[in-house]
Amino acid sequence: MEKINNLINKTDGRIEQSSISQDDNVWLNFLPVFSVLLGLLMSGLMMLFLGYNPLTVYSNMLSYAFRDIYNIADIFAKATPLILTGLAFGFAFRASLFNIGAQGQFYIGAVMAVTCALKLGSFPSYLILIICFIMSLIGGSLWAAFIGYVKARFNANEFLVSMMLTYVAIAIMNFLLGGLLKEAKGEYPQTDVIPKSGWLPSLIPHTRLHWGFVVALLIALLAYIILWRTSLGYKIRMVGYNRDAARYAGINIENIFVIVFFISGAFAGIAGFTEINGMQHMLIEGFNPMIGAEGIGIAILGNAHPLGIVLSALLFGALKVGGNLVVQTSRIPASIIGIMEGLVLLSVILSYFVRDKLMVLRSKKKLVVRERHKL
Amino acid sequence: MGNKCNLITLKNITKYFPGTIANDHIDLTLAGGEVLALFGENGAGKTTLMSILYGLYQPDEGEIFIKGEQVKIRSPHDAMEYGIGMIHQHFTLVPVHTVVENIILGTEQASLKYLNIEEKVKKIEKIGNKYGLEVDPFAIIRQLPVGMQQRVEIIKALYRNAQILIMDEPTSVLTPQETEKLFNFIRDFKAKGHSVIFISHKLNEVMEIADRITVLRDGKIVGNVSRSEASESRLTHMMIGRDLEITKTNNTIHPKSEMLKIENLTIVGDRKSKVIDDISFTVREGEIFGIAGVSGNGQEELAQALCGLRKVKSGQITLSDKDITNKDVLSIIHQGVGYIPADRHKEGLVLDMSIEENLFLKNHSNPMFFHYGFLNQNKIQENARNLMRDFEIKAASSKSRAMTLSGGNQQKVAVAREVNIGTKLLVAIQPTRGLDLGAIDYVHKTLLKEKKEGKAILLISTELSEIMTLSDRIGVMYRGKLLKIIQRKDAKVDEIGLLMAGITEGNRNGKN
Amino acid sequence: MNNIITGLLVATIRMSTPLMLGALGEVFVERTGVMNIAIEGIFLMGAWGGFVGAYLTGKLWIGFLFAIGVGVLCGAIYGYFTIKLKQHQIVTGVAINILTLGLGLFLYQLLFGIPLLPLTVEPLKDISIPFLSTIPIIGSAFFSQNILTYLAVVLIILGYWVLFRTPLGLIIRSTGENPEAVDVAGINVERIRFLAVLGSSALDGLAGAFYSIGFLGLYTNNIIGGRGWIAFAICFLGNWNPLGILIGSLIFGLAEGLSVVLLTSNFKLIPNEFLIAFPYILTIVATISRRQFNVPAFLGKPYIKERS
Repeated sequence: MEKINNLINKTDGRIEQSSISQDDNVWLNFLPVFSVLLGLLMSGLMMLFLGYNPLTVYSNMLSYAFRDIYNIADIFAKATPLILTGLAFGFAFRASLFNIGAQGQFYIGAVMAVTCALKLGSFPSYLILIICFIMSLIGGSLWAAFIGYVKARFNANEFLVSMMLTYVAIAIMNFLLGGLLKEAKGEYPQTDVIPKSGWLPSLIPHTRLHWGFVVALLIALLAYIILWRTSLGYKIRMVGYNRDAARYAGINIENIFVIVFFISGAFAGIAGFTEINGMQHMLIEGFNPMIGAEGIGIAILGNAHPLGIVLSALLFGALKVGGNLVVQTSRIPASIIGIMEGLVLLSVILSYFVRDKLMVLRSKKKLVVRERHKL
Repeated sequence: MGNKCNLITLKNITKYFPGTIANDHIDLTLAGGEVLALFGENGAGKTTLMSILYGLYQPDEGEIFIKGEQVKIRSPHDAMEYGIGMIHQHFTLVPVHTVVENIILGTEQASLKYLNIEEKVKKIEKIGNKYGLEVDPFAIIRQLPVGMQQRVEIIKALYRNAQILIMDEPTSVLTPQETEKLFNFIRDFKAKGHSVIFISHKLNEVMEIADRITVLRDGKIVGNVSRSEASESRLTHMMIGRDLEITKTNNTIHPKSEMLKIENLTIVGDRKSKVIDDISFTVREGEIFGIAGVSGNGQEELAQALCGLRKVKSGQITLSDKDITNKDVLSIIHQGVGYIPADRHKEGLVLDMSIEENLFLKNHSNPMFFHYGFLNQNKIQENARNLMRDFEIKAASSKSRAMTLSGGNQQKVAVAREVNIGTKLLVAIQPTRGLDLGAIDYVHKTLLKEKKEGKAILLISTELSEIMTLSDRIGVMYRGKLLKIIQRKDAKVDEIGLLMAGITEGNRNGKN
Repeated sequence: MNNIITGLLVATIRMSTPLMLGALGEVFVERTGVMNIAIEGIFLMGAWGGFVGAYLTGKLWIGFLFAIGVGVLCGAIYGYFTIKLKQHQIVTGVAINILTLGLGLFLYQLLFGIPLLPLTVEPLKDISIPFLSTIPIIGSAFFSQNILTYLAVVLIILGYWVLFRTPLGLIIRSTGENPEAVDVAGINVERIRFLAVLGSSALDGLAGAFYSIGFLGLYTNNIIGGRGWIAFAICFLGNWNPLGILIGSLIFGLAEGLSVVLLTSNFKLIPNEFLIAFPYILTIVATISRRQFNVPAFLGKPYIKERS
């Protein structure tokens, strides 16, 4: 017996570095849930350390978030752009590409959407919405396709380029808000409210939940179909797993880079559409500044899978809604939400490590069983 | 052996890895002034055992004794303290640094003191002179030929005062002449009172250089013979546990039409020099054309050009009268060219995907596998079932991930797919690297079978024995040129060996 | 005209200081094969730590020390996840950046609430080197800067020497090019990498503090605004060579200096936002056109020992 215990303790084996893995063990699928709880626990400890009562905070958050239909609907409304920016990062991640520029693509999409909404106010509503949707899609996708092109052609570091492009997008947006798009009053760096014809219809009356949520769900479904049911998706996943083998299989890697970034940017651009036409109905300087980074977090939490992303976005949405309300009633600063998100993410990363270790442990156990039979 | 005080004694060494027992209660001894060969096929456990001796692994059971005293070797650092040096199969050199920088790495404290290169160079030159191992201290590793790099590895060990050298398959990257030079060094080293442990799966080398031969099979010691007691058949029998049937080749050649024609092909490499320099040859239907040569002489680039992965500068590649020069990879695949790669993990398989997805790898634009634009899972599965049956691929199901397969079965997947696609031409580059004897035999039998079916097969390999066994005609490649094309029946190892080192009839007196 | 040039030079060298510090740290850590993706977040925490330390104690040097300490702490977390737990560097870095963004603001508001006017601290004063600083035009630019600037230059020169002329430098460079070679030579790869992460994080913390207490004298959540990433980019563009990043930092310092000078002057020809965007555009152009010859071969890949 000791020999077998020694076996398990001593041998270490390889640790595969894969954040994305399809595992059979049912318990392992709950790992993300455990890590979310762990992250919230750590945030709670931090609150305790700083003089707040985490139990009151969390129970208040829960009760506020689900207090009435307005708040519950708000969760879905807040989740909408997160689903899309999460899909943006996650989709590219499937090809082992890093689209860190979703924030910038989101802003460009938003600029396109608000411009169309403002200028085309007299058109019939459905037409405006379709045009805004398409233009925001094109804006985001072209902004991102540039990254893919540069990577394909010059082997540029897409991490750096996408990061920098975001700041350029912010500058462009601010420039436009300072002049061309500025509100009629001319007081603040923001646009006028877009005409009612450009508003996405409400999904549940007297709430902020709009049809953009349905759009986001459909996009998630689309992402799933592309990745697992089409030839393009197969190629994308192959490029993500093993670029050399993909090359030998006749796949044009460079084309895939551009296509992936194009689609990824489209998702982020559409988030701009849902926020402008569905939620804000105007463009304000510096709005939703963390939507890109949060999208990355959601993609990580959701294991870069459309279903996981939707669920994670809903979770973050709940955190935001509950968190905002708690902030209004108690004296805890709003930035606690950001801390919770960050700690949840770190816990998720920890959970990947745990999962990898568990897989190694299981293969060792199989060896032990074999040895037992021999003895 | 008798009363000689053994330099090194391994007792009861056992090592487990997930899923396997690499070393199974092994006893081993090494005397001073002796060359011990550790003989066995790929996967027998030779490297693992020596890694334990060198401190890279810790044994799960067993003891190590040096000069009669029990020691613990916890890291290569400890091993080097005891005078043990190891030259690995895959060099642990930093390609962009100089020879000196590589040799002295780790010999100095990680300090901020000024690094005096000159005095290090002097010491290195002394060692070079003592053992006849000259090398330019300021040369950059990646610009050195492989034989030279190995020399640097040896000097690395000698610089640390190694008394015992462990060499892991050292000749796999050398020409026959470089191998002879290495053997001279080993004999010299032994004469100075030191010892060498020589790991190899090559029978003839072991017979030539070793004083004693220890045979490993499936992690166990199966025999220990002195040079005088050893014979080829006895060693082979010990290595594989049975007598090996030599794969009989059908060497009768019926004149058939040309399938692949290479005319005046020139390819420029990444560093703007010619890696393939005006070569021409043909491969006929039902023929295996073998290209011999030390790796790095343009074989990889040639294979890539045939696949469509590399552009040629000039010349023409014709397949069955169709010009495929500089065509893209996909069109060449559709022309019926299969490619069995050297590194199946890198080029041949996607380990994270299932077996059926891997077998479908090159069919991603084949309309047969689609249903209104969407992947037809049924067809993909059916394709996998058929191939797995025809090629005896052992796996739990076609949906298992490729990484769960053994090395041999993984290669079978790659081979199955390529043979299926390669209806006209098969390009196989190092197809049996790292495989055990059973898998090697399977690949060879498959190639011969496909030859019988009338396919043209281009075999590129650094294993001369493989080339000699399978090829109908042999071409030798050196520095991008095809030096000579010989019929199998006229081929002699000595001549090919010289050609592999670039020595032709013409320059025989000028070189070396 | 002279005044404008002098002013520009002064601003250039001043603004390039934190970039030099951050990029130097990044060079060392990337030479061991690890990208410090948390750089932007550590800059921010350094700015916070520097301000808090200086405001609460009234002494700037304590602020800087605290900033370094905070930086090292963040680096330790990043290093633990990426080196010991072998998790993905970009994913971990993003998580830490999100966390620090919330953390910085949270802790600031915790300590100081939300004051009507931003709290300020007296920033670093310039130290003029006698005689040299009186040289026309360039004198004040090069020889009348604050102590961090002088320190940065000294560190870069030291860094070059350590990297290329000492045994430690050889080990560092080898670790990024072929960690297996280093491992087999008996050196602990993980330890070298972890120490490098800590070192670069210390520099990042210091660099962040430059913005809050070395230059502006206050702390806001936007104070770093992507400049950590510019330092990150400079490491690439400078070809992982300390002397290269000196030049790179100066170029970006110039871009920033230009925008500062033009902002305060009456030159309204170029829109403000363009000036702000200029450094980022420059980075993109440089990333595209520069072929990075010195990329450490194993950059970004965790060292997985094939054994136990």
